[in-house]
Formats: sequence, structure tokens, C-alpha cells
Amino acid sequence: MIKMQLKNPAVLALLLPAGLLAMAVLLDLLILANWLNVMPTVYTREAFVVVGLLLSLPIVYRQRWASDRNVMRGLRSLFLLVGVTFTALLITNLDIFSIQSRMVNEGSLYAKPGAYLYILAWTMLAIVFVLVGMGTLRNLMFIKQQRYTARNFHLLMFFMLLYAVISFRNFENFSARFSFVLNDNAVSGAALFILINLILINSFRVSWLNYLNQKQKLSCFLGGLVLVPLQWLLFVRFHQINPAALFSPVLGKFVDMGMLLLAIYLSVAFVALMALLPSARLFDRKTRQIASLHHLSRALSSEFDFKRLVSVVVNLACEVTEADCGWLELFDGRTEKLRLVSSQPVFSADPTDRDADAEEALTRRLLAQREPLLINDVTKSPYAAELSFWKADLFSLVAVPLTTSEKVLGFLFVCKRLEYGFEQEDASILRAFGEQVVVAIENVRLVESSLEKERLEQELRIAQEAQRKLLPRVMPRSDEFEIYARCLTANEVGGDYYDFFSLARDRIGVVVGDVSGKGASAAFYMAELKGIMEALARNELSPKRVLALANETLYSNLQRDNFITVVYGILDPVQRSFTFCRAGHTPVLLMRQNSDRALVKEPGGIGLALDRSGLFSDTLEESRLTLASGDLLLLYTDGAIEARNEAGEEFGEQRLHEALKRCRQLEARDCIDCLVREIEAHAGSASAFDDLTLVAIKMI
Amino acid sequence: MENFKIQRSDQDRISTLSISGFLDAHTAPKLEEAIQSLIDDGRYQIIVNFSDLTYISSAGLGVFMGFIEEIRNKSGDIKMCRMSPKIYRVFDLLGFPTIYQIFDREEEAAARFGPVKA
Repeated sequence: MIKMQLKNPAVLALLLPAGLLAMAVLLDLLILANWLNVMPTVYTREAFVVVGLLLSLPIVYRQRWASDRNVMRGLRSLFLLVGVTFTALLITNLDIFSIQSRMVNEGSLYAKPGAYLYILAWTMLAIVFVLVGMGTLRNLMFIKQQRYTARNFHLLMFFMLLYAVISFRNFENFSARFSFVLNDNAVSGAALFILINLILINSFRVSWLNYLNQKQKLSCFLGGLVLVPLQWLLFVRFHQINPAALFSPVLGKFVDMGMLLLAIYLSVAFVALMALLPSARLFDRKTRQIASLHHLSRALSSEFDFKRLVSVVVNLACEVTEADCGWLELFDGRTEKLRLVSSQPVFSADPTDRDADAEEALTRRLLAQREPLLINDVTKSPYAAELSFWKADLFSLVAVPLTTSEKVLGFLFVCKRLEYGFEQEDASILRAFGEQVVVAIENVRLVESSLEKERLEQELRIAQEAQRKLLPRVMPRSDEFEIYARCLTANEVGGDYYDFFSLARDRIGVVVGDVSGKGASAAFYMAELKGIMEALARNELSPKRVLALANETLYSNLQRDNFITVVYGILDPVQRSFTFCRAGHTPVLLMRQNSDRALVKEPGGIGLALDRSGLFSDTLEESRLTLASGDLLLLYTDGAIEARNEAGEEFGEQRLHEALKRCRQLEARDCIDCLVREIEAHAGSASAFDDLTLVAIKMI
Repeated sequence: MENFKIQRSDQDRISTLSISGFLDAHTAPKLEEAIQSLIDDGRYQIIVNFSDLTYISSAGLGVFMGFIEEIRNKSGDIKMCRMSPKIYRVFDLLGFPTIYQIFDREEEAAARFGPVKA
């Protein structure tokens, strides 16, 4: 302890007072050797001592650890200090009465060199004890520094020194040196009065006690039971027989007052501690609750992982209420059933046992009242059966519904293994806790769903891009005909398909198809259709053969409730013909150059993948159209006729025929644009159309 | 968006589903559910009355295809009746008349299931 105070700057700070003290001792030696006269010299040596004392005050003012974390450390060093001093007192069995009486009798301090050294050593010990002890007190006082803390302490030090110096007056009167107040004169009496007041005022700076936790308070109480009486014993002993006073009256008074300060301060702190002890547990809990709520709000803002969040929630709930175990059940978004999402400690019992309990009485009670429920003795509650059914060793329980303004997200449970383990306060704390938990869970879910949504959108964009690449970018070119195609998709991905295949003798295979259903599954089947058509068409087979083979493959690959309609035809520019089959698809429209009526070409045929090869091939008819210059063929998917306007009216085949008639003189590309415009105009703001594909072939 | 409604009526061994409104990818699951519940009840002789149906999409058509095999394996059938010309056109284009029996009146459909066997 003392060593600790003697680190570098302290050593320097102590050299000067030590030097001055050494001068005083030197003077004493000279007196002892009868080289100097006693009377004039004592004033000089007392002056040395006072200045030395002043210069050693930095020991008191050195602020090494004034922080709430170090309270226990300060208290331990104080305990050690008092203990060591008291032990020293016991060992030496300080008996100054005999020395004193001898001095009084012989009229001199310097009667015996042995006695002189004895007194000197004790003086040193006493002054170090007082200075270090007061330094510790000061640090304790400054842990929670307030407006007048520093001023009051300065005043205290000032009056201690003042009182000590005033008392020097009485040096010659030996008997007065050991008196306290009674035979002091008015001036020193007033100084003493103010000093004791200041000691009392400073002694109430004990708010550091609040920083101790329950356990520390208890150990402080036990320590105090020893420390406070010891300190009073020290004070009384030193007040009766003060070795420092024998060495120097100023030091004597200073030590006397320092001892008194320590005794009073420690007593006040001890009484204050006793007052705090009964509430220590409550105080401790409050502190822990605040810490837990703080921890939770930190978890709120930083935890975006659902599993980790719920585990933190359950852990903190148990911590706040000092529960033995706890768990969290949430309603599943899809099944609307309660699901155990986290427990502490992790339950070995199969948590799915709790899944089917949405009908249970406890759940119904919590859903109906939406208030925390405190059960003091589970075995005597109406919910005993369903609770002990799955967890046998729980006896008291708090259940808190986690509610938003509209709905109940789930329930938070904590329980203990003893009856009456919770207080009503626990329930209300958990309610406040629950409100934060709701926000946290909602946040995490929101983040997760928006991440999920973003991911899905991203994937759909990729799928859309991939699907677009399945459709031909470049239209076949020829001197005999023009072809133009257009595909509009309603969703990100769709089931419409068109394609062209270059065949032998400049012939072109043309396919338009429509996969039933929508979205991803339609898109997959569309891709499959493309693969099959590519493979089959290149074999130069007839349209009927191609579709029959395609049907065989698709029938075994598609789900039963999916099918594909398709028109596949071969355009022969040499023979100027279009030979095609229609597998359940919308008909082919033919607009002759000099006709004003669209011809509907609808050979028989059922959709692909509806039936095995027998029925399919039996019904499939091949049709051959001979084409003249200026003739216009239109292949389309049902999106073209099913576009609805706001009144719910479909565009329909009739309107398509009319529109085709109006634009039959245009080139293939302009014709398609014209048709799309008319369909869009019909849909108007409703714009609710299915996937839509148009392919126009115009003979030159 | 127009609603889609199904009304089921059981008579002897024949069950009739009267469907109305808009049968598309969104409403198709309702029809699926209805037919599945007939199958679960062991009722395989099914008539679908289309009289009030205003629209049917490919997903709606697919529902029938999804069950027909199973129902016919149990020597049952789905017979259809009272389609508006527009609805019939959709079925016709796809070739459904070769797969399903389609009648003008419900009684005709019922009659084709034959007499109740003891």
C-alpha cells in the first residue's frame, strides 16, 4: 500500500517533507547532545515539521482511482491500512504513559535515546496512516463528485491544519497537549467546532455505496463490522496516548483529527450501508433489468438474424426475472400454429409437442385477454395438465403475449422450479420487455422478407433474361416472303413461344406455342418445348410427325394438369405453300390478297401432353395452304383474343379478323405493330392481357 | 376481378359441380380442391355444369386433366354440360370434345352415367 504510493512522482513529493523532518530530527539530536538550548530551538523545529506536513499533503490529494469500478479496491486498502496499524499497536503494546510521565517528571523529551526513537517511529507510522487514509477517503468522496465536494474537502483540510497549528500555542503546557476541547481556549475551540462540522459534512459523501452490487454490499457490511470498531479503537487509543503529540504538538493534533475523520466517515458509511442493504436485492434487480433492456435495444438494432435474436430474447427474459428456464413461441405465418422458436436451456423434449396446442386453454386465455399471466403454483392452476404434460419440473410461470396493434405474434414464457417464484412486478417488467421484443421481431421479419423479395425479383429478372434469349432475335429473310414476330409477356416469365427453323431447300419451319399455366413452371416447359422442337424440326419431318413425336416426349414429362398448344408449319418458298398442324392451338388466319375476309384454318388436333400418342395422332390433321403473292398468314396465341377492356369484354376472334383485314396491305412488321396497337387500344387502361404472341408471314 | 364460385350437389352416385365466374390460374386451386374432396369422398361420377362460367384459362382446363386419369381408373368420369358458346370454343380448339363428353343439358350427362348398379 505504502509502496504503491511511493511510485516515482510520489517519491519526489515525499523527499522534501522527509528532508524537513530530518532537519527536525537533527535539531533534536543537537538538543540531545546538549549543544543547543531547548526553548528557542523547539519553535524552529516545529516550523520545519509544519512545512513538512504541508508539503506531504499531495499524498492526500493524489487521485489514483476515483472511479466507481475501483470502490472495492479502495475499501480493501483502507481495511489493510487499519489492520496493519492496529496490529502494530497490539505488537508494540504502545505504552506511552510511562514515557510521558517520565517526560513530565524529567521535563524533557530527550530523557532517553531509546524512547525518542520509539516515539519517532510511531509518529511516522501515525502520520503516514492518517495521510494515506484521508487520501483514500477523498477518492471515495470524489467518485460521485458534486458541486461542493472539492470545496468542502479543501475547507476540511484547511481547518485541520489551522486547528493543529493553533494548538502549538500550548506547547509549554504539557498537560494541555493531551486534552481535547475542555481546556482549550476560545479560538482553538471555535476552530475545532468548525472542523467537526466539516468532518460531518464531508462524511455524508457516501454515494459510492450505490455502485456496489448486492454481493459487494454484503462483503462491505461484514468488513465494516470489523473496520469501524477497529478505527474507533485506534482513534481512542491515539487520542489518549499520542506519540505524534510527544514528537510535535502540531502533528499530534493533525493525527488526532485525522483519526477522528476516518472513524466518523467510516461510521456514517456503515450506517448508510445498513440502510441500503435491505433494498440491495431490489436495487440489484433494477440495475440488471435496465442493463438487460439496454442489451435488448442493442440487440434490436444490430441483430438481423432471426434465430440469434430469439435466443437473445429468451436469455435476457430469464436473466431479468432470474428464471430457471424460458421459451418463446410464435405463430407460424403459414400454418397459423404456435411454434417453439427458442428456449433456455434448450429443451430436450420434442418441441413439436407444442405445435398442436392452439386450442389449449392457456393459449385461449392469453389470446383473449392479451395481458401477462402470472401463475404462482402451476400444479394448482387450471392449466396444470397442459403445462406439466410437456415439462414436468416447472412450478411458477409468467406468460406474456407479444402483441402488435392488430395481432398476437406469440408468447414469451419464463418459469421457475419453485412455487411463488415471481412477483407481479416481474410480469409488468416482462410486458415492457415484450413490447421491445415485438418491435425487434417485426423488424427482423421485415428485413428478411424484403431481402427475400429482392432476391426473388433478382432471380425473376435473370429468368426473364434467359427466356428472352430462347426466342429468335433475327427474323428469317427471303425474297419470297417476309416474316415478323412479336411476343409480349404479362408476367416476368411466360409460357408463350415462337421459333423459326431453317430447313432444306430454303424451307422455313415456323412454330407458335402456348404452355398452360403461368410463371416459372410455364417458362420451364416452354424451354423444354423449344429443345424438343429444335431437335425434331431439323430432322426434316412432316409437321404431323414432328408434333406426334413431341407429344410422346411431352406427355411423359409434363405434369398431368399441364399441356401445350402449338401450331407447327413448314413454309416452302419454292412451292409457295404452308403445310401445318394445329395441336389444340388457336387457328391460323389467312388473308388472301384480294379477299376482304380472313379465312380461319382450323384442322383437327388436340393439345400436346393431353393424351397418349393414340388419340393425339388420330385427331391430328395436316393442312396444306397454297399461297399467292400478297397473301398474309397470321399465327397467334390466345392472349391476342383474350385481352379485356375495362368492361371485361374480350378482344375476341371477330375483332382480330376485322383488325387483320384493316392492315392486310401492310408489310409483315407494320401489320404486327398495327394489330398490337389495336389490341392495346381495346384493353385501354385495363391492360390486363395474358402473354401474347403474333407471327405474320407475308408472301412477296 | 370477377369471383369464382363452386356449388356442389350430390344425387345418388352422381355429384354435380356448378361453377360460375372466372376460372383462371388464381381460382383454379378452388376447383382442384372441390374435385379432390369428391375423390376423397369416393365419388367418381362427376358432372361439371358450366352454365354460369364466364371465362376459363389454360390453368382452369388443366385442372380437369389433372384428375381425369385417376377418376377413370376408378371407373368414374367427368362429364361436362351447359357450356356457353364462348367457353365451348375454348374447349373445342384444344380438342377437349375428343377427351370429354360434353352435353347441352345436365340430364343428358347424368343419363350417360348409366343406371345405378345394385
